[in-house]
Amino acid sequence: MKHNKSMVILLVVMVLALSVTITGCWGGDAITIGSKDFSENITLGEMFAQLVEAHTDLKVNRKLNMGGTFVCFEAIKNGDIDIYPEYTGTGLTAQLKMDVISDPDEAYQVVAAEFDRQFGVKWLEPLGLNNTYTLAVTDAVYQKYQVETYSDLVKVSQNLVFGAEHEFFDRQDGYDGLVKMYGLKFKGEPKKMNASLKYQAIGNGDIDVTDAFATDGPIKQYNLKVLEDDKGFFPPYYAAPIIRKDTLEDHPELEEVLNQLAGLVDDPTMTELNYQVDVEGKDVEVVVREFLQSKGLLD
Amino acid sequence: MGLIEFISANYIDIQKSLLRHIELVGISVSIGMVISIPLGIFLSRHKRMAGTVLAVAGTIQTIPGLVMLGFALILFGIGMLPALVVLSLYAILPILSNTYTGITEVEQRYIEAGRGIGMTNMQILYEVELPLALPSIISGIRISTVYIVSWATLAGLIGAGGLGDLIWTGLSNYNSKYILAGAIPSAILAFVLSGLIGFLQRLLTPRGLKGVRV
Amino acid sequence: MSSNLAPLIFEHMLIVIIATFFSVALGVVLGVIAYWVRHVDAIILWTAEAIQTIPSLALLAMLMIFFGLGNTTIIVGLILYALLPIVRNTYTGLTGIPNHLKDAARGMGMSKLQRLIRVELPLSFPLIFSGIKIAVVNSLSIAVMGVLIGAGGLGYPIYRGVQTRNLARILSGAVPVVLMALVFDYFMSKIEQRLIKRAG
Repeated sequence: MKHNKSMVILLVVMVLALSVTITGCWGGDAITIGSKDFSENITLGEMFAQLVEAHTDLKVNRKLNMGGTFVCFEAIKNGDIDIYPEYTGTGLTAQLKMDVISDPDEAYQVVAAEFDRQFGVKWLEPLGLNNTYTLAVTDAVYQKYQVETYSDLVKVSQNLVFGAEHEFFDRQDGYDGLVKMYGLKFKGEPKKMNASLKYQAIGNGDIDVTDAFATDGPIKQYNLKVLEDDKGFFPPYYAAPIIRKDTLEDHPELEEVLNQLAGLVDDPTMTELNYQVDVEGKDVEVVVREFLQSKGLLD
Repeated sequence: MGLIEFISANYIDIQKSLLRHIELVGISVSIGMVISIPLGIFLSRHKRMAGTVLAVAGTIQTIPGLVMLGFALILFGIGMLPALVVLSLYAILPILSNTYTGITEVEQRYIEAGRGIGMTNMQILYEVELPLALPSIISGIRISTVYIVSWATLAGLIGAGGLGDLIWTGLSNYNSKYILAGAIPSAILAFVLSGLIGFLQRLLTPRGLKGVRV
Repeated sequence: MSSNLAPLIFEHMLIVIIATFFSVALGVVLGVIAYWVRHVDAIILWTAEAIQTIPSLALLAMLMIFFGLGNTTIIVGLILYALLPIVRNTYTGLTGIPNHLKDAARGMGMSKLQRLIRVELPLSFPLIFSGIKIAVVNSLSIAVMGVLIGAGGLGYPIYRGVQTRNLARILSGAVPVVLMALVFDYFMSKIEQRLIKRAG
């Protein structure tokens, strides 16, 4: 009848789509590397990816900029990703929900042992950086109130607006715990926004205080003052690649390849890389490639 | 803890987010109305321009929300302002299109009847065309409102607040309770507002047009 | 950066095509059920409309709880959002068929199913196709949000661009999406017009 030809065409297209769906898995030896949704983690993820591509036969599927800590954590637990960059402090308080351990090496040992035992995830060698959470205030605030420590902040907190990424508000080592330990009371409601936007916000004066990572590039750019955690609320945060144990069993060469980075990415290095990505706006792929080449890890 | 306990524990946060969400929706739909209704009336008098203007507004509609938020973020920074700019822009098309269609579809005989009894053009507009177009206009406002409730959830990304904040926190932390605490109220809000405005629409439909589906 | 765009465009289109396939299958079936079983037509149509009312981020986030991160979730979401145009147009198309044509088919000895496949669906095809067109164009835009729940596609450069306030990155994802939407809309409208003309 009238529309038979069109209907047949539609049917063919649909069958094609269905067959593509079924053959969806384009196998081959591949691993997936993920990362959280802020520049430093994306940079580290890209670093792992380029190293693996250069030194093994494996194909790397990148799932960078996935989301917050727990998104990546769920993904590695259920095998959606094989590797991502994690921090010991985060692992300790957020995933393991344990109390803060101030000694960085002890924290690493504990976290590595527990992740292995509970989740089947192995921590590779620390990269060298200790990217702790800090609180940062604008230079204007510093000049006005002469605050040096978090405790100093308590007295003037009601005049200041606090802002942070959404994740910070639902973590053990996050907003609620911080405010409780120090007795901080900020002005109005804390502002929540995407992790990458914090610094524009503080730069514009939309917020006065933010949780910063010690190696963030914009700290320098916006001339922010980093305060001292005098009561030791935030744990130390060694960064390292974490990898599924089954993936490691299938591809043991990954351990050696990624451990080439051990100790290579210290605080000043990471800050510099972050600066190039966040402040100079360079592409992550380019920044990572240049860095790895400079260290002789890439041709 | 279960979802119920979670909600009672975080009740204040949820309430604040809800109020902020309503604020975002209310302001942007109002701005949309203020722009679209006069513009729609204008276009009904200048039909040749209508095609172009509606096409432009329509194209804005096809731009994904994340993209528009990105543009607004670059221009205005974070907070409520960029969100309101984007939401107001999105509110325009449904109201504009329905205002224009509503007025231009008023049957000629009513206009002629008005002219016949000596009404001026202004009087015809206010006493014949607008009342008859009202169901259509309100339908446009309803469609617009539902869209805006939806898009306003994205606004949490750029620090505007609203129920999106809860959803974003939930997504960041893979925490289904946060997600539901934001998602369910936003869905309920959309339904409630849609129902209320729909009720208003039926209320304001002139008796003679009651059978007409808008 | 632009060298990475092609696979993303492909992935984006693939997600939309797969979702459209399933939503056509599901939507047409639901439309037929609404047509055959008169009691449930209001429920089916109301449900499809209700799904549309749910804010998209809310729906996607809730789906993520069940389907996890990744392409599956966005595809399910797209299917749900595509239901209304397809179901409604199928239903409207089928119920709009003049009775004399249905009687003629019955007179020729066709069963209900035969009548559906050989007469009613072909006659409704222009309208159904119009619904598919609306679904496809909307899906291209909604699929951008997939990046927020771990899916691929053009949402990735857009989201990265928003995070870094980089207009070029945002556009590198946005322009293909809008272009695809305009192109699909244009060509599918042309096809739709030809289908209507042939029916007339």
